[in-house]
Amino acid sequence: MSTESSVLGNVSLSSDRLRTIALYVGLYGTAGLFLVPYWYMFATSFMTRELVYSEVPHLIPWDLTLHWYDYLLTSSLVVQWTGNTIILAGITTLVVLLVDAMIAYSLTRLDWPGRRVIFGVIVASFMVPGIINLVPVYIIVSELGLVNSIWGVVLPSAANPLGVFMLVQFFKDLPEELEEAARLDGFSRLRIFTHIVLPLMRSALAALGLFIFIWTWNSFVWPLLILQSETMYTLPIGLVTLQENMGVTEPGVIMTSAVIASVPLLILFLVMQKQLVRAVEMQGTTK
Amino acid sequence: MAQSTQQTDADGSGLDRSKSMTREWIAGATFSLPYILIAGTFLFGPLVLALYMSLHDWNALAPAQSQFIGFENYQILLSDPDFWNALWNTLYFVFLTVPPIIIGSLLLALGVNRDVKGKWLLRTIFFSPYVLTVAVVGLLWTELFNASGLIPYHIGGGNWLTSPELAMPGIAIATIWWQLAFNFIILLAARQNVPDRLYEAAKLDGASTGQMMRHITIPQMRNPLVFVVIVTFVNSFQVFGQPFIMTNGGPTFSTTTIVLYLYETAFTGREFGYAAAVGYVLFMILIAISATNYYFLAGDDQ
Repeated sequence: MSTESSVLGNVSLSSDRLRTIALYVGLYGTAGLFLVPYWYMFATSFMTRELVYSEVPHLIPWDLTLHWYDYLLTSSLVVQWTGNTIILAGITTLVVLLVDAMIAYSLTRLDWPGRRVIFGVIVASFMVPGIINLVPVYIIVSELGLVNSIWGVVLPSAANPLGVFMLVQFFKDLPEELEEAARLDGFSRLRIFTHIVLPLMRSALAALGLFIFIWTWNSFVWPLLILQSETMYTLPIGLVTLQENMGVTEPGVIMTSAVIASVPLLILFLVMQKQLVRAVEMQGTTK
Repeated sequence: MAQSTQQTDADGSGLDRSKSMTREWIAGATFSLPYILIAGTFLFGPLVLALYMSLHDWNALAPAQSQFIGFENYQILLSDPDFWNALWNTLYFVFLTVPPIIIGSLLLALGVNRDVKGKWLLRTIFFSPYVLTVAVVGLLWTELFNASGLIPYHIGGGNWLTSPELAMPGIAIATIWWQLAFNFIILLAARQNVPDRLYEAAKLDGASTGQMMRHITIPQMRNPLVFVVIVTFVNSFQVFGQPFIMTNGGPTFSTTTIVLYLYETAFTGREFGYAAAVGYVLFMILIAISATNYYFLAGDDQ
């Protein structure tokens, strides 16, 4: 801010200069606004009860405390929910990667009738919004006896059309020579897939896997419907019930639980931003 | 077919070829099988089942005793004031969120693409809400909109989420903050893919910034823009988590969206057949919206 005022102090401003200033003010101003909710969340999680409940909302925790963290870690199921979320997101990611990599391999590398049609159907199914299927999938999951089971959440999202699309694109850019050589050496298809194809796909699988992991970690509707006992909850579901169960909203507890639910992903995001950007960009090239 | 050639073919190499072809077919089908089974059970099967259910007075406890009623669910739906209320609320939400998300993400993407200092920082900040769950977004903004929260304190309006006029705008603001990220990244990548030489040539011809925007940037980014518009529309039409967490559809049903209504008729009211019909109507609306967008935005290219 101080640099801007000193720039404004200069006498003659070219229109280029003005435009640059407007650009900076616009971008950094918006960025500042974007950060306010984060700041509020973190600051509140460290505030004492008096500060949280004061008439005037505070943005600076004058009085620091770990009371809310202590409360959540000892007298709620937040630790277990974190474990559940990691397990659910981990299993879903592995299953999706395997299932999608297998079909992407067979659609691009193996010559069999119907593969074009199947790929077309998968691309089209990309446009079907999952929410349409809310009721019938719930019925099917309960018929299979998977309500309140982790598989009731994993299986409905195990066939991911976006992943197939991304991996098919990847295969198209991947030279076939290594596989050919292995084939001539008498490797079986399965062996080629596990020993040559999968290792070659590492970077694409990492990008897709990160995307699926975050997506599952954050998923809300399915875990809400399927996971019905408190000890099975994932963090997003636990958080919301935490608020409902307390009757009166406790901003300290809510914001602290929000911190606990988002910090792991924010760290993952900072470390692996490049892969995540790549996964998102690949979606933009679908059409 | 493969078998018959195997038997009649006396030539050994032909036998080998057809054998390896059969093997390739089997391998191809086997590698595709897990996906096909799962997608069949949890995606395509349910689409058919939903249609079937929507034509029945579905008995949740004894599905076999459900009665076929033809299009009655759809008829009821058309004269159901709650459905229309949910539809209008959803349209209002779409109107409040789609233009800001698209224009905002485009402006931020074009801005960050300029030679600004701290590009990495800006990109990180604008992209970061993407990794938050709707539960965190909903709870966080509920606090911000609270009567004693930051926003009423600085802007006014009391508790936004308990006001029939301000609840939906409040949900919309939270959504814009959360959903801008995805479009931002896609549009930023799209802008970076526009070749610089186009601008250099235009500059030599004396084109203004506005002209370059209209004749180079927007046309060059058209496909990603169409994608972003369609995805944003589809996402906003399906809004569920935010009103579910922030207002539970209130006050006085002013934030009950279609999907929230679907969820409640299905899992609170146990009217599965009717809820399936609501789902199909939403599906049709989404197809119509996507097709319209595609027709108007990408039409003359084909």
